[in-house]
Amino acid sequence: MTSSVIVALRVGATPARAFDVFTSEIGAWWQPNMLFPFSRREPGTLAFEPGPDGRLVETYANGDTFEIGRITAWQPGDRLAFTWHQDTFEPGQSTLVDVRFEAVGEETRVTVSHSGWDSIPQEHAARHTMDDAVFLRRHGEWWQALLRGLRARLS
Amino acid sequence: MTDQPHRATLASAVVYKDPDAALDWLEKAFGFERSMVITDADGNLSHAEMTVGECYLMVGAEWAGHVASPASVGGKNTQSVHVHLDTDLDAHCERARAAGAEVVRQPEDQFYGDRVYAVKDPEGHVWTFAQTVRQVSREQAEKASGLKIEGWI
Repeated sequence: MTSSVIVALRVGATPARAFDVFTSEIGAWWQPNMLFPFSRREPGTLAFEPGPDGRLVETYANGDTFEIGRITAWQPGDRLAFTWHQDTFEPGQSTLVDVRFEAVGEETRVTVSHSGWDSIPQEHAARHTMDDAVFLRRHGEWWQALLRGLRARLS
Repeated sequence: MTDQPHRATLASAVVYKDPDAALDWLEKAFGFERSMVITDADGNLSHAEMTVGECYLMVGAEWAGHVASPASVGGKNTQSVHVHLDTDLDAHCERARAAGAEVVRQPEDQFYGDRVYAVKDPEGHVWTFAQTVRQVSREQAEKASGLKIEGWI
């Protein structure tokens, strides 16, 4: 897992609160990306099932759910990590999101590292025939927008 | 997406032989923060941005024949990045010096009201940092410098 997208910004909250809102209110600050949906259905609402053995799940209008990934690190106020799949991913195709929460003065620097895209072949439909660098950059821009949404939620 | 990125009108892209080392150094020396770093499947830096106040800076490799680090061209700079700080210019200079920056101009008050220092980074880029320390009128600046000044803010 070499390729990665790292995005960071500061939010006006403590690491504990930033972690809490990141996890417990993701349904409120998340914005779906029409180019990179988790499934072919109308985007639903995201929610973490909290805790070290929890999951990240998208729930659709009719109540159906899709498991985006499983939590691999749950350290409130410090670090959150979870796997991330789209429904078209084959076994062995998986990406990982690792989120760090660091105090910087009275603010918190939230850093998202999204890796593992090299497990998704260039010809995979999820890549939309984009050049790898462009594909990764689009994800970086999406994560920047998502973290701005988190920051707005915290302010 | 409803939340369009806020982008400063102007940004600079700074070229390094070792951009990964540069990201670490710029953070340590100047306090810039990585805001986006994209690494490709071969482990090479594909794109990097750092936050500098309300602006951003791109940090890249020598990715094409028309770009070069000063370290590849005998230390020459064809452009220089200037950063305006709100406070603590001297402490900023000390931090840069402690990180290994070569101070080429010590912090010094200028006739136009700013205090300025300049440093070279490990690959030879010259950076200037300034802080406004007093308000100066155009007439005062002309008198102090002996220059004819147009377009004073």
